[in-house]
Amino acid sequence: MSVATETAVVTPVLSHRPWWQGKPVRVALIVAGMFLAYRALRLEYPWPSGLAWSNLPFELDRFQTWLIERRSAEDKSVVFAVFDGFRLLVDDVVRWLEELLLWLTWVGTTAAGTLVVWRFGGARAAAITLVAFAAFALAGLWAESIQTLALMITAVTLSLAVGIPLGIATGRSRRVARIVTPILDAAQIVPAFAYLMPVVILFSVGPAAAVVATMVYAIPPSVRITALGIRGVPLNTAEAAASLGATRMQMLAKVQLPLARRMLLLGVNQTILFALSMVVIAGLIGGGGLGAVVNSGLSSTPALALLAGVVIVVMAIALDRATEAIAERTDPAQRHLDPARLRRLRIQTALVAVGIAATVVVGKLLEVGSTYPAAAGVRQRAVTAQEWLLARIQSVLDYVQDPTSWVFSLTEPTGIFILQKLLLPLQQFLVEGPWLTTLLGLTLVAFVVSGLRPAVTTFVMLGAIGLTGVWALAMDTLSQVLVATLIAVVIGVALGVAAAESRLISKALRPVNDVLQTLPQLVYIIPFIYLMPVSIVPGIVAGVLYAFPVVVRLVERGIHDVAPQAVEAAGAFGATRRQTLTKVKIPLAGDAIMLGVNQGIIMVLAVVVIGGLVGSGGLGYEVAQGLVRGYFGQGVIASFAILALGVTLDRVTQGTRKGRKEGLE
Amino acid sequence: MRECHVFRKDDEKEDGMLDCLDRGRVRLVGLGLVVATALVLVAGAIAGPRAAACGDVVLNENSWVGSTANVYVLKNVLESKLKCKVKVLNITEGQPSFQAMADGKIDVVLEDWQNLPGTPYEKSKSVVSLGGNGITGVIGWYIPRYLLQQYPAFKTWQGLKGKESVFKSPESGSQGMFLGGDPSYVQKDRALIKGLGLNLKHVVAGAEPAQVARWTQLYKQKKPVLFYWYDPQYLNAQYQVVQVQLPKRSASCKDDEKKGGDAKQYACSYPSYRLDKLVSKEFLASGSPALKLIRNFKWTSKDQNFVANLISGKKQSKDKAAAAWVKANGKTVNAWMK
Repeated sequence: MSVATETAVVTPVLSHRPWWQGKPVRVALIVAGMFLAYRALRLEYPWPSGLAWSNLPFELDRFQTWLIERRSAEDKSVVFAVFDGFRLLVDDVVRWLEELLLWLTWVGTTAAGTLVVWRFGGARAAAITLVAFAAFALAGLWAESIQTLALMITAVTLSLAVGIPLGIATGRSRRVARIVTPILDAAQIVPAFAYLMPVVILFSVGPAAAVVATMVYAIPPSVRITALGIRGVPLNTAEAAASLGATRMQMLAKVQLPLARRMLLLGVNQTILFALSMVVIAGLIGGGGLGAVVNSGLSSTPALALLAGVVIVVMAIALDRATEAIAERTDPAQRHLDPARLRRLRIQTALVAVGIAATVVVGKLLEVGSTYPAAAGVRQRAVTAQEWLLARIQSVLDYVQDPTSWVFSLTEPTGIFILQKLLLPLQQFLVEGPWLTTLLGLTLVAFVVSGLRPAVTTFVMLGAIGLTGVWALAMDTLSQVLVATLIAVVIGVALGVAAAESRLISKALRPVNDVLQTLPQLVYIIPFIYLMPVSIVPGIVAGVLYAFPVVVRLVERGIHDVAPQAVEAAGAFGATRRQTLTKVKIPLAGDAIMLGVNQGIIMVLAVVVIGGLVGSGGLGYEVAQGLVRGYFGQGVIASFAILALGVTLDRVTQGTRKGRKEGLE
Repeated sequence: MRECHVFRKDDEKEDGMLDCLDRGRVRLVGLGLVVATALVLVAGAIAGPRAAACGDVVLNENSWVGSTANVYVLKNVLESKLKCKVKVLNITEGQPSFQAMADGKIDVVLEDWQNLPGTPYEKSKSVVSLGGNGITGVIGWYIPRYLLQQYPAFKTWQGLKGKESVFKSPESGSQGMFLGGDPSYVQKDRALIKGLGLNLKHVVAGAEPAQVARWTQLYKQKKPVLFYWYDPQYLNAQYQVVQVQLPKRSASCKDDEKKGGDAKQYACSYPSYRLDKLVSKEFLASGSPALKLIRNFKWTSKDQNFVANLISGKKQSKDKAAAAWVKANGKTVNAWMK
């Protein structure tokens, strides 16, 4: 479940500048200057109200009113008619799919899923699929799981239908890439929470709105990975095809696509996982299914919300392993089909088809219900483990809520330490310092860290944030992002190094990573609200938990990819294992680590916004409040500020990587 | 498959065969897709016919348990007495749910804390209020009752003055902490604190589960806490909390913090809210027998807290809890049917 990334394998050369000319020192000097200004002029110069467009929220509210009026007018304009048409179509498709899965009866659906995965992905993947279906049934959440499955199948299919062609175009043309890339960046940086409101206005609520919200998030990885695959086709192969007179179409169909096959399938896999991470958010706007169970359970029955969260994870892991297995097993390069094998495969296919049909027929004859336990509403009658599971989860929650427990005596001081020693000082420093020194200081830091262009971006983006009147809120959010990223990077690098050095740790970490990336954040924030009862910290913890797996993975891969010659050379000079690690491997994996910081910071930002729901305040709270209280202007401005912050952080951290790369070439 | 062999040379025969088979498979997959689509269409057609005379009624369940209680009790009555087919959606309160009503996706909302007035949905009459559900919503500043033993003056806001540091917390520094409410709830506490000149720091706890986690934790440790809270709320039966009296309301009293202006104008208690039943324009025009029942639906905050406590406190299933209340309150339910 890795995030789409482009690792540039370059051979870095270590520079030998005296330490006082290094970047850290220069950054420290700038920060020291900002700090002096902060101490001297604290609270005296907040962002001037004359420099903020205070009417903007109201203008936007007016725009929203206009939009709603146009939208519900009798004579709809063509634009809204198109949106409506799309909405009705998608609503119907999701409904049909769901009804089909229910019509097959629960045994039929299970058989269909398991057998198809068995035919294309092998026994192991099929076993995992079977376990997943069993989990839906045992958790007593069959109908909800099927609803979510139908929604996800539709969303993923549509995402791929848009993403793959767009990815091909992006991979083949630089011009397209230049236009598409910033849009993808924006789609990934803006937290899903922020575009719910426009989605609701344009697509109403229901499956279609949920699908659209999911697509916005799931299309970027499919475009990026497809483009990467197309670009990764070896130049000489493409040239050979061209010299044989291949047309552009032939080149695509016979050379580029087949050679990019693995990447395309990785793209499918990632699209599925990204889509699944949206289940809960989609539940807020009518996606239904497991997402709705999580949302409605959070305040009334947290144990049920947690259980539904776990079912989402199970579904994600099953889909991940199944697509991975199918991608590997169907790879023509590894299959070496001979007629005998081929015949066997065809027999298997026939068996699978017959098996599914037979199960459905038998199921129908025995009047097996469309869901397991039969009809809705009488859930308790059939055998599910739901009550037992809920009781177990509840007892864990009870323990967690107990302020005299042993765990609490560890977590509470930790929470207070993070808050008082890291968060609050940084927050005050950024929010209460004179605005001009903060703005210029941050711009200068961006310049020192990664050069002129990122610095200009920083200045423009932070300026825009100030002009729209959310400076203090954005600085508040920034302080949270920085603290969470710091913690995530420390943990991530430590575990990543450990995983690179030990296969055992690497293996043990994989399921942990999977769970953390797909378990809905709101679900795992809940225990931390009890364990660290200080308002901002649970949000930070959630951000750390969500982001550190990516850092781990990138660092691990970076260290793995360090040229073996370098390691051997170090060994030949008699370096100990530890010396090899600290003096050779880690410095040489610098790029991968920076990439980890870059990815981590964006993921932290996404979660810190959700943290607005658990007391993180800042921009996330504004978005959340705007959404539900109907303060459209407030919501849009805060979303925009999040985007601006995200672009800034992305460019600055990416800049360091590019800067190093360019400097070396 | 004839054409497969045409362009193949003999020495490539075997590969050619394979290619042919591959193409055959592609066709098979294509056929499969067509069959699957047909199946989907047929399934859609089969699932077409709808239920009995009452038809479908879509209720919206909001994020607080009181709303769940409303919805499931009404669902029980609609299903058992009128044979309606009830569907429950969970769309976020406020604009998203109003848009859903305007689009005919939700028929009924049973507890609106006066969010509707002033929205475009009210003006266009796409969402219509049917009046109160019998419960009056109260919002205010609350403290645990045990605090009054030590600080009897905390009954009113004047008593808090000078004693704010009692409510100190890790994030509030030397000030006292005021624990704010769920972002989706009506609130004006920042302006209130400023207007009353109290040395409190407004700390956002986040969504309701988070806020509840925070103050119940402090409650269990018998520590001081001052927080935004409301009634009806089933937790009020489990925890002994009392309201801190704020200045009485006057004509110039303001409630919408976002409107800005002098903080002094906000320095008055919250209004009490009539909790409205809303229906969509479409549902109102449908003449469904359910409409009459919904018009008559009225109960008390005690009733609601009872059901909510079964669900959230006693961990009963929503349907079971609602059925228990309906069974015990036949008289009230019969009154709705008239």
